[in-house]
Amino acid sequence: MSRFRIPILILGMIPCGAFAASAPAAGDPARGPGEPPTSGAAAAPTPDPYALAEVIDRRIGERLGQVSVEPAPVADDAEFLRRAWLDVAGSIPPASEARAFLLDDDPGKRRKVVDRLLDSPGYVSNMSTQWRKLMIPEAEGDQQVGLVSIGFEPWLRKQFAEGAGHDDMVRDLLTVPLGDDQQTNRIFGGEEPEPSPFGFVAAKAGDPGALAAGTSRLFLGIRLECAQCHDHPFATWSRDEFWGLAAFFSGLDRRSPDMALFQGREIPGRTEIAIPEADRVVQATFLDGDRPRWRYADEPRAVLADWVTSPDNPYFARAAANRFWAQFFGRGLVDPVDEMGPINPPSHPELLDELALRFAQSGFDPKFLIRAITASDAYQRTSAGYAPGQDVPELFARMPVRGLSPEQLYESLIRATGLEREEPLPPFVFGGSSPRKDLLERFAEDGSSPTERRSTILQALTLMNGQLVETAVNPQGNGTLAAVADSYFLSTREKVEALYLAAFGRPPRDEELDRLARFVDRGGPTLDPKRALADVFWALLNSPEFSFNH
Amino acid sequence: MNRPFRDLPVTRRQWMRMGALGAAAVSCSGWIEALAAGSASDPARRRSCILLWMNGGPSQMDTFDLKPGHKNGGPFGEVETTVPGIRISEHLPKLARKMDDLAIIRSMSTKEGDHGRASYHLRTGYMPTGPIAYPTLGSLVSKELADPTLELPGFVSIAPFRGLNPAAYAPGFLGHRFAPLIVGESDFGRVVPGGDGAEALKVKDLSPPAGVDLRRADARLGLLADVRDPFLDLRPGDAAYSHRTAYEDAVTMMRSDAVKAFELEDEPDLLRDSYGRNTFGQGCLLARRLVERGVPFVEVTLNGVDGNNILGWDTHQDNFEAVRRLSEVLDPAWATLMEDLKARGLLESTLVVWMGEFGRTPMINGSNGRDHYPNAWSAVVGGGGIAGGQVIGSTTADGTEVEDRPVAVPDLLATACLAMGLDPMAQNMSNLGRPIRFVDPEAKPIREVLA
Repeated sequence: MSRFRIPILILGMIPCGAFAASAPAAGDPARGPGEPPTSGAAAAPTPDPYALAEVIDRRIGERLGQVSVEPAPVADDAEFLRRAWLDVAGSIPPASEARAFLLDDDPGKRRKVVDRLLDSPGYVSNMSTQWRKLMIPEAEGDQQVGLVSIGFEPWLRKQFAEGAGHDDMVRDLLTVPLGDDQQTNRIFGGEEPEPSPFGFVAAKAGDPGALAAGTSRLFLGIRLECAQCHDHPFATWSRDEFWGLAAFFSGLDRRSPDMALFQGREIPGRTEIAIPEADRVVQATFLDGDRPRWRYADEPRAVLADWVTSPDNPYFARAAANRFWAQFFGRGLVDPVDEMGPINPPSHPELLDELALRFAQSGFDPKFLIRAITASDAYQRTSAGYAPGQDVPELFARMPVRGLSPEQLYESLIRATGLEREEPLPPFVFGGSSPRKDLLERFAEDGSSPTERRSTILQALTLMNGQLVETAVNPQGNGTLAAVADSYFLSTREKVEALYLAAFGRPPRDEELDRLARFVDRGGPTLDPKRALADVFWALLNSPEFSFNH
Repeated sequence: MNRPFRDLPVTRRQWMRMGALGAAAVSCSGWIEALAAGSASDPARRRSCILLWMNGGPSQMDTFDLKPGHKNGGPFGEVETTVPGIRISEHLPKLARKMDDLAIIRSMSTKEGDHGRASYHLRTGYMPTGPIAYPTLGSLVSKELADPTLELPGFVSIAPFRGLNPAAYAPGFLGHRFAPLIVGESDFGRVVPGGDGAEALKVKDLSPPAGVDLRRADARLGLLADVRDPFLDLRPGDAAYSHRTAYEDAVTMMRSDAVKAFELEDEPDLLRDSYGRNTFGQGCLLARRLVERGVPFVEVTLNGVDGNNILGWDTHQDNFEAVRRLSEVLDPAWATLMEDLKARGLLESTLVVWMGEFGRTPMINGSNGRDHYPNAWSAVVGGGGIAGGQVIGSTTADGTEVEDRPVAVPDLLATACLAMGLDPMAQNMSNLGRPIRFVDPEAKPIREVLA
């Protein structure tokens, strides 16, 4: 009988300030100082991302030509800038940046701003948050998993800050040493959590089946779960193949099955597993059907990790390239991203192959791929317009409207309103409500794709009547609105324009400016121009142009 | 008792009777019917469910499956119910009079003894494994049973404590549309406002902030439409359009009469007293008002006897004192709810379920407490779709094992589905693109408990 865990309760009482500082970037203990990241493709010359952008446009263009669909025109600077900021750095641009960008006449400014964003702290936190949610979705709902995974996001931050290759990142994750039970004790003692990918094993409770399913889905783009229990009549994968992969994790030994959290040990060298409720034992076997030739002291998880992340693996590079693509377009070239295989072919097979090949050649450098994607016309197309056929999502003829993640929405609200940013609470701090926590909760992802996300009544109530927006539109406050409203040197029209830049990253169109400036000058229903200006800002923050990426 | 006659079809003579009965603190039979005389039973009415969620794991040995005389039994005595042969805790006397409409399941046998995981299991019917985000029962039911014209959300969660496993309260792969509207949430470090418990049960952000009157709110919405519509006109698609729909629905709710359900002060004082002037009691009253207005799923959590307790039933220490005090909150609230639903013709269409995430050890520990026990424990079902007045299953004399008719979590939830007229084997599409049945296909519904 596992009793309610008292330590967690007590941890909840620790003031969160002790952990507010971000984890220091320490050297990677697994690798000697100064040693370059290892990668099978490191010897090849680094490919040119902008050449890959041209490949993207050629392939997408061929398909559009075949079906005679006219792609949407390239977005204007403001539309591009807002999108690139949200996708790369996780927030809308500051008004000052937007203004400067719009005035800049450098033809290379779009590539330059992406370069700058890739070096910004926003990139690191945006990517870390997104990949944490992908890799250990369990930590979102389950506070206990969140607690034992406390080092996971710091570990991801370290990876993205140091420019780790995607292959190295995945290898570290799959081979994470156990015996990391000390993590909670360390935090308990008020120390920083140690960056560690242990959360991946912990979130799956050390279960070989769950680890095999997660590994396959995340890093090979293959959903194996159904094969866990039976051979599916229509699927490619058999039960033996599933358990053959799970056998690489068979050394993990859950000490007590009653414990919600994995505090395990590992039996070295175990390479076989009994299929539950079947009278069979299967040997560790890669998904391509090969079996490793075991040598003395080979560690099964390390052997699996080498196979998974090998540049020759037919699945890994394509699955990774597809996931990065999906982050920037709202859908993958194969969609859903974790259902690759003959029954769900890519929309652009040659393009996916080329992305995968060049990604591997770059040493699986995410920044390389992001540069290529964001430099393409396909990414830079406008989301506005109606031409026939552009609605077919797999043509990538127009940028779809995408829901923001809750973190993107919060960061964007803070940026637009100039309110003070509230640091995220560590997962072991229970309780208390705060504007940030309430907002993240109300806008939490529900598993639907970003292009299909639906707004809800409660979300509308939160933005219409909630504390955060109300504070932001208080003319007596100390945010953007108050600063703009109190600027005696700005005309009403300039004030409206400043709010547009802050919220939308663009100046208002003439007809918008005329109508809103008139509304403010007349003072709205309160006959008070300041409050009328606040009402305008309220409307901007509540509009879909603010709360969607487009 | 300042507004006893307001809007109520109650005569002075009835009022005098009510006062007399209330003062005597005996059964509320009779006068609640008089109060309810205005509401008729609608034969086409959809089914509803009220889940009374006992956070922390209630002690079956001290509520519905007593073992007086055995060393595991503890000090509580039993009381006869209106059904001969069925006896329950002496601290649930009012409920004992409602036994005709309730069925006790004494043979719950589950496999999870961790609060977070067990809550997920009981509330979704599935174990938390892998990437599938299973919906909580309320989300599932509201998706199936909510009338499209309903001006309120189809799932309201009253006074939940979600801290240990928010996913157990989430719509999972069904999506935000079926997320609960939460009122009066409990949390570590958050003190629920005192008073009579009703203050905590207001909807968050339902009214515009101070200083924004109706005219100003309308002006804001007008500006919003001006800014929004040209954007949407150029960007067709469901995601963006859902923004407009959500705002329209939100404004409809803010301004609808249905939202008056949350104005508990409209109820007569006597009735509010009868439910109990605490968050759980007033929460049960709110549940009735919501069900009455067509909300298909309402859950009310009993966290503890004061506003600051979050796992009140987690009685590792001083179990008996704690359970006695919890019973004093539970008994009047639940009994009045049954009575009130019946008087309004709502009980036939409203399933009532009482459960927690597990039971508690029959053995009494060194701190005079009881620990987590999923092996053999009790749940109660009643009202719509249930053949009341019976006991399902039994436990051994020492309470440690289920003696007959073991009931697993999917069995219980499948039974609840059937009582609401839902097919437990129907499917929803999951976030992994795989269809998932409402309840695990292994489920064996408790047929004998269905009406």
